[in-house]
Amino acid sequence: MKKRLYLELENCIGCRSCLAACTQCGGHEERNRNYVYDVNPLVNRQTMPLMCLHCVNPACARSCPAQAIQIHETGAVLSALVEKCIGCQNCTIACPYGIPKFDTEQNLMYKCDLCIDRTKDGIPPMCASVCPSNTLQWLTDEEIEAKQKQFNLDNGKWVTSMPYLEGETNVKVNLPGILQGVTKLF
Amino acid sequence: MQANIATNKETGRSVNHAFASHFAKSMFLTVVGIAILMFIGTRMFTHIDLNLYGYMVGTIVFIGGFFYRFIAWGERPPTKIIIKKGLKLLLRKSTPKTAVNHLAIYDFIRNRGLYRWVQHILIGWGCVLACLVTFPLVFSWMYFTMEDNGYYTIVLFGMNVMHVKAEGIIAWFSYNALNIAAIMVTAGVCMALYRRLSNMQARAEQKFMYDFLPLYLLLFISITGLLLTFQNIVLHGWMQPQMSLIHQFSVIVTLIYLPFGKLAHIPFRPMSVFARNYREHYGEQQMKECKVCGDHFVSVEQSNDVIQVLGVNDMEFNMQDGFNLAELCLPCRRKYRISRFSGFATHQVKVKEANQNAKG
Repeated sequence: MKKRLYLELENCIGCRSCLAACTQCGGHEERNRNYVYDVNPLVNRQTMPLMCLHCVNPACARSCPAQAIQIHETGAVLSALVEKCIGCQNCTIACPYGIPKFDTEQNLMYKCDLCIDRTKDGIPPMCASVCPSNTLQWLTDEEIEAKQKQFNLDNGKWVTSMPYLEGETNVKVNLPGILQGVTKLF
Repeated sequence: MQANIATNKETGRSVNHAFASHFAKSMFLTVVGIAILMFIGTRMFTHIDLNLYGYMVGTIVFIGGFFYRFIAWGERPPTKIIIKKGLKLLLRKSTPKTAVNHLAIYDFIRNRGLYRWVQHILIGWGCVLACLVTFPLVFSWMYFTMEDNGYYTIVLFGMNVMHVKAEGIIAWFSYNALNIAAIMVTAGVCMALYRRLSNMQARAEQKFMYDFLPLYLLLFISITGLLLTFQNIVLHGWMQPQMSLIHQFSVIVTLIYLPFGKLAHIPFRPMSVFARNYREHYGEQQMKECKVCGDHFVSVEQSNDVIQVLGVNDMEFNMQDGFNLAELCLPCRRKYRISRFSGFATHQVKVKEANQNAKG
């Protein structure tokens, strides 16, 4: 059963477990590849995670002169191949979400690879495994569809992913209701 | 093909007219070049080592694969830009230093780990040494003659460059260069295999066809090559002709495989010098200001190039707020995304991003 990463942004409590878990994934060399942001840092405590959304047509890979960013058969957009990356940083400029990180010392880009050694075997990625607030979930398409139905409040505000993103993505994002003045119906 | 037609139109009756494609032209010129060098090197084809005839054919096939792979690759829009601008900037003052760092001593790999650096130095320089010996011998650009008893003359491109004692140290290094290379490569490959099998992080990323096969091929070449020496010295040449065929087979298979697998990064690598020059040169000229926070984060040239390359791929990240996403620095671009999710303009809040790096 193919599963996807699914984000319910407003559940985030800012614990940063996902960042810590990311460091522990095989091949990540103890550095995290995801982000957690305060939405309105001087006013309230709402946070939101920001992950690579694994675009169906990824700008990072399109802009890479060395073909170092490969797309896995599961749809995951992989981190730069260490032997191919030439350190031009085109991908960091191209990514519409600002996800790729660059290590100048190692002359190497690294980004979320959706923990490919896990997800290729259907095991959830590290971030989703540890998320205590169900912000990051690992769901089948049917489950995501059910979520979408459950949360569709008929006002066009609560839909997954498009049109709030720049293109079709493999990771599905649910837009937060709380900040748009809608109460979430669990 | 289309690109080729376009160049023909531009240049009119140029030499490009004579060839059906870039591939045909590159292939023809290279083979002619090799033939001319052979003609000179072998003193008008009088000193060809026909023992190595198989390698010669294998090399020509390899060159075919190489051009096929790299011409296709060079047609990609981002690659084309880097190659074009990289060649233009090749005469920068910093080029020799960058080239030595990236192509000879692999500084960036040392920063990825000492073990990996040692392993890469052994494999890399072992292979370079082997190529420097093998190809001149295959095309007879270098050979040895014995005029006086006990002395070898080393002939390079038809010129007698050195007169050495057959028992001397230079002669010893010449006979054993390939053995030394084989020992270096074997040691490096064993280190690489050990790391792949024992290090769980490395193991997670490895695939047989991509990561292990090239190592096994290099090991196959090195071991069969060392066995040749072993058979000569210890077994008085027993089964040596058979083994030399097996060795030849292993080299030719690896050569043909080279442009299509992990080893393709060897001919790719000079691009990293291009990329560094490109960033440094255009960075000195004019830096791009982030449309939100005003930070200088990339050169104007690169920003425009990326926007253009994405345009070729039908990707336009022009926002209603009046900027292209490639014009925001990375933290601002991430915050802008949060603002798109939440409806609140996070990127306008003048607070630096914090607490983003977990300690593993």
